[in-house]
Amino acid sequence: MNGFEIEGLTISAIEPLIKKKQVSPVDLTKAYLERIEKLNPRLNAYLAMVQGEALAAAKKAEREIAKGKYRGPLHGIPFSIKDNIATKGVTTTAGSKILADWVPDYDATVVEKLRSAGAIILGKTNMHEWAKGSNSINPFYGTPLNPWDTTRIPGGSSSGSAVAVAAGLCMGSIGTDSAGSVRNPASLCGTVGLKPTFGRISSFGGVAGTGGYTVNHFGIFTRRVKDCAFVLNQTAGYDPRDPLSSDEPVSNYTKTLGTSVRGMKIGVIKGYFDQCIVSEVRQAFEEALKTFTALGMKIQEVVIPHIDLVPAAQAGSTRPEANSDHDCYLRTRPRDYSPGLLYSLIAGLLTPAPVYVTAQRVRRLICEEFDEAFKSVQVIVAPTIFSPAPTIDECNRGYIEADGKKINLADRAGNFLTRYTIPFNVTGLPDMSICCGFSSSGLPIGMQVVAAPFREDIVFQVADAYESNTEWHTRNPPLQ
Amino acid sequence: MKDAVRRLNDEYGFNLTDKEIDIVAQQAEEAALLFQPLFETDIAGIAPLTKIDKKSIKAVAAKGAK
Repeated sequence: MNGFEIEGLTISAIEPLIKKKQVSPVDLTKAYLERIEKLNPRLNAYLAMVQGEALAAAKKAEREIAKGKYRGPLHGIPFSIKDNIATKGVTTTAGSKILADWVPDYDATVVEKLRSAGAIILGKTNMHEWAKGSNSINPFYGTPLNPWDTTRIPGGSSSGSAVAVAAGLCMGSIGTDSAGSVRNPASLCGTVGLKPTFGRISSFGGVAGTGGYTVNHFGIFTRRVKDCAFVLNQTAGYDPRDPLSSDEPVSNYTKTLGTSVRGMKIGVIKGYFDQCIVSEVRQAFEEALKTFTALGMKIQEVVIPHIDLVPAAQAGSTRPEANSDHDCYLRTRPRDYSPGLLYSLIAGLLTPAPVYVTAQRVRRLICEEFDEAFKSVQVIVAPTIFSPAPTIDECNRGYIEADGKKINLADRAGNFLTRYTIPFNVTGLPDMSICCGFSSSGLPIGMQVVAAPFREDIVFQVADAYESNTEWHTRNPPLQ
Repeated sequence: MKDAVRRLNDEYGFNLTDKEIDIVAQQAEEAALLFQPLFETDIAGIAPLTKIDKKSIKAVAAKGAK
């Protein structure tokens, strides 16, 4: 282990030691590679490792720091990258059979930014096929397993990233989120998962067909809120290669950490987030509200009149957008999709054009309703998922049993595992999932903290205040 | 809806079985029901959402004020 106890290690704890040359990036990288070698066969978090490249980058970081050229808090920090994000010279499969052999000759902008911040890329993480699902049961590469209970799914689609961060197989990871694909696995694996405002992080280098154009966001996994702020500081900003990226000025997202939240107002939306919720999740969320109250925040109900249209607006946006990218493969390699995804893509071809345009108009309506809500509250909080992680068997049979009843995992309105997260894809609002408790069987439960567009600073302030006053984030999965 | 799926099957060359055509048709029918409330919503005068950018919003607002 090179003298490191990796379990529970955070960027904010290790970066000052790297800066002071008390921790060697080479030793740190070796320790992570050893842990991956030991645990990845059990967890299936990584699809590809780049050991040689990682060690070379760690040696370079060590030389630079020795010469006094410290680049910042990510210098020498081990990261992983979801396998639908382009990495130069490294296979990027998108969890699909179709792209099994695709090796990009360029890095995604976010990967470039991490490398220039001195981060060490360890490898590519497993995911749901084409990022089109949230259970990550992948027929081509195997299913990543939840480190808290390996009979259970880790969520998805950025499943491998969440597993890797939760299990201590890297310190941070980059994923993508079109319907909850960062926040959902963050919730089920007990990590921090940030989906920033639409356009805050460049999407250049994301594999086409792994996220609707207007709902997709690159996002960040870490173990702590402060770690996440370090990563957003390095990865946010306008990118001329992504015309949908925003030129809004980038804040220093660590500035609001540790500042008082007393007097701030929190909004809670009734109805939409109460549907089918499992009692343990409801209790954890209600306890979290008590913590906010104890911190001096004021809770008030907010109403989003058209929130029940979110599933239709989401599906009406993503299906045509996905089909735009998949048309060529549907014509040439249809049987290289898993059957379920193939059927869903073909059904998507039957979405009439007016549905797409009407969905975009309804999205503006919903955005305006959230804008109105944010005139009276600084943040909105909600459970991330209605239930703790289901088992793989439950996902295969399509329902869970909880509170003495059978709850289907999907209905006409879509997947229940993403029902609570899609409002913030439809609106593009910044949203972070943080751990707010554990079920009686020891599974993490997540809570979303949402703010107005480009107010990630407020998301960090409130999430950090909660984290600093609770201990959920200190628990580690039982992996020994 | 089954006829529409069959037409796609021919056009794209999916080689779907009858059972698969049923599955896809059912999904498309359920999607049509899901989308119906979008058309029942009063969105008169509301333009499609394109990009979230506070600067653009401010710029448009300033232009409109002149």
